Amino acid sequence: MIPISYYLLLSAILFSIGVFGTMIKRNMVTIFMCIELMLNAVNLSFVAFARYHSLIDGQVFVFFVMAVAAAEAAVGLGIIVALFRNRQTLNVDEADLMKW
Amino acid sequence: MLMDNLQSLRYFYPELTLIVAMLVVVIVDISFNRLRNVLNPLLTIAALLIAAYFTAYVNHGQEANLFLGMLALDSFAQFFKLFLLLAALLVVLGSLHSEELLQVHQGEFFALLLAVTLGMLLMANSINLAILYLSLELVSLTSYIMVGYLKGDRLSNEASLKYILFGAISTGSMLYGFSLIYGMTGSLNLYTIRDAFLSQGVQGFDQFTILLALVLTLAGFGFKTAAVPFHFWCPDVYAGAPTPVTAFLSVAPKAAGFAILVRFLFSGMTQTSGSEWGLVNGINWPLVLIGISVLTMTLGNIAALTQNNLKRMLAYSSIAHAGYILMGSVVLTGEGLKSMLIYMFVYLFMNLGAFLVVTIIYNSDRSFEIGDYHGMFKRAPFLTFAMGVFMLSLTGIPPFAGFLGKLYVFLAVIEKGLFWFAVVGTLNAAVAAFYYMRVIKAMVLEEGNGKTAPLHVSFLNQALLVALLIPNLILVVFWNPIERWTASSVKLFSGL
Amino acid sequence: MSMMLQFANVIVFLGVGVLFLSFSLLLSSLLRPSKYSEEKLIPYECGENPVGSPWIQFNIRFYVFALIFIIFDVEVAFLLPWAVVFKKLGLFAFVEGLIFIAILAVGLAYVWAKGDLQWVRPEERYGR
Repeated sequence: MIPISYYLLLSAILFSIGVFGTMIKRNMVTIFMCIELMLNAVNLSFVAFARYHSLIDGQVFVFFVMAVAAAEAAVGLGIIVALFRNRQTLNVDEADLMKW
Repeated sequence: MLMDNLQSLRYFYPELTLIVAMLVVVIVDISFNRLRNVLNPLLTIAALLIAAYFTAYVNHGQEANLFLGMLALDSFAQFFKLFLLLAALLVVLGSLHSEELLQVHQGEFFALLLAVTLGMLLMANSINLAILYLSLELVSLTSYIMVGYLKGDRLSNEASLKYILFGAISTGSMLYGFSLIYGMTGSLNLYTIRDAFLSQGVQGFDQFTILLALVLTLAGFGFKTAAVPFHFWCPDVYAGAPTPVTAFLSVAPKAAGFAILVRFLFSGMTQTSGSEWGLVNGINWPLVLIGISVLTMTLGNIAALTQNNLKRMLAYSSIAHAGYILMGSVVLTGEGLKSMLIYMFVYLFMNLGAFLVVTIIYNSDRSFEIGDYHGMFKRAPFLTFAMGVFMLSLTGIPPFAGFLGKLYVFLAVIEKGLFWFAVVGTLNAAVAAFYYMRVIKAMVLEEGNGKTAPLHVSFLNQALLVALLIPNLILVVFWNPIERWTASSVKLFSGL
Repeated sequence: MSMMLQFANVIVFLGVGVLFLSFSLLLSSLLRPSKYSEEKLIPYECGENPVGSPWIQFNIRFYVFALIFIIFDVEVAFLLPWAVVFKKLGLFAFVEGLIFIAILAVGLAYVWAKGDLQWVRPEERYGR
């Protein structure tokens, strides 16, 4: 059996990649993909802990996270489409009408 | 008393009312093409009133753990539910005559508003991390849409993009914190988590993991309450969103965020007896919270000084007020919590009032710039009077309600011996007075820029202004019921 | 340590795969004649010469359909555990599941009535 620390390490690495991606990427769709990566890291660690404790509620939590992530992606894409129609760009740096 | 799903439904009427009303609004919106613009607001208002009735009378004084320990029905939740329903009701009434929202299709707006309200009620109730996350996301997702509701408006688009990016990242971090807490304690229930932390002694856990989990989790709550350093989204979102939505966001989700923060810190994380914060040795948690609170109010107030857009100024001012509300959470006493609730209660009336005035002026002048408010006294004396009261109340000048909130917060802090903290709060209030007075000066003293026609205020808006003015004027005299109500609401935590 | 030995299989497999692939690619590059021409460099599309760049903007409708699909796709994730314990919980679970599906059906009806299920939307019949 693979010890839980391996899963947690993978989850931490995925989460960090996701966080860094949201900070350095400039394309809106890529940023959303990085956010999905963060959520999947969370899912992995929840499933690993649920298995470790032999409990089911961690796995149930993962179902909810997946459903909410889908809804979030739907809303996010809707917002991106609306923004693209008005500006013809997907670069977050160009969304700069408001500062300070 | 732990209840299973069927038994719980009898205590779930307020939320059920909102769910049914939301679906009915959606159906009405697609089936009655002519009547929908009349029916939907009426349905929404009726649903909010019925839900408030259930909360205030039917559920009054009941205590139970619903749905097998997912939701707690207690007096603390009840205070927040009534507060949030009232806020939603006032915002619905204020949005009816808003020219910004009249440009676009309205049916969805009411369905979304009901959904946010439902999510916030669940947030105030939840004692399980799963339901806490779900309700928080229900609030967040629907508010992203509400912020971007003006599809053709570039500011509104940009605001909702910034909101969803910040929101998704901070809830992602919060979830990672949850997963670590779940891993350490093997439970999602806040009470079981606390018991697990207490039974093994906090020393039984890896200190760094606890610290990481708490910091990540607090990032999520900090985002919802717009506390520094998670406030960056706040001014842009508030400036870009339609004004009634801004008014709503600045009060209701913030209050719900404080509700979960209090529940998480007080029932989930700290020890019940004494005033010890048992988590992570070597870190002075009250000091961390004091730091966040001081930074939040100072940054909010100083940034507000230079704003010329009134919506943006009120956004920074709402960050500052979040700092004052946080002051109450530091002291870990029933008094502190009570002062938080009182502050939120008076903040509801003064802030919604200020935003209503902004909405009314935008309706006829199409501007949020403070320069366009010049000479408003001659065009709309009553409106100027109302705005003056709201501004003075936000500053915390004695005869108005805002003073009551600040008084209780400062008293709670001083009682704990943190004099310098109260002094910082007072200095901040003095800074805040500058920009609130600036609005009054612009409206009363400055010469108008050519426009002399009297400003039209619809009857509904006038009635609403009066309704919001009354609490601001009389609460200082009739503070007793509020004090008793909030005191009984924090009984739950008074063992602290 | 025994787990490390289990991983040894994977590493051997990886190594053999890499060796085999690089050997065969190397062999074929040594054996084949190399004559380049203009035609060989254009992408093959059923014998047609490609027109324009493939990086065009797709119709926005694709996204709308995909979004609706995702919502109902995730619905199935909730119905599966429901179906597993269905017999044990009886009528109550059945009614609960029906309510869940009914709420989603209202959403679908809304999308339908708004005309978002059609490729070309009827001319703003329901307003926006």
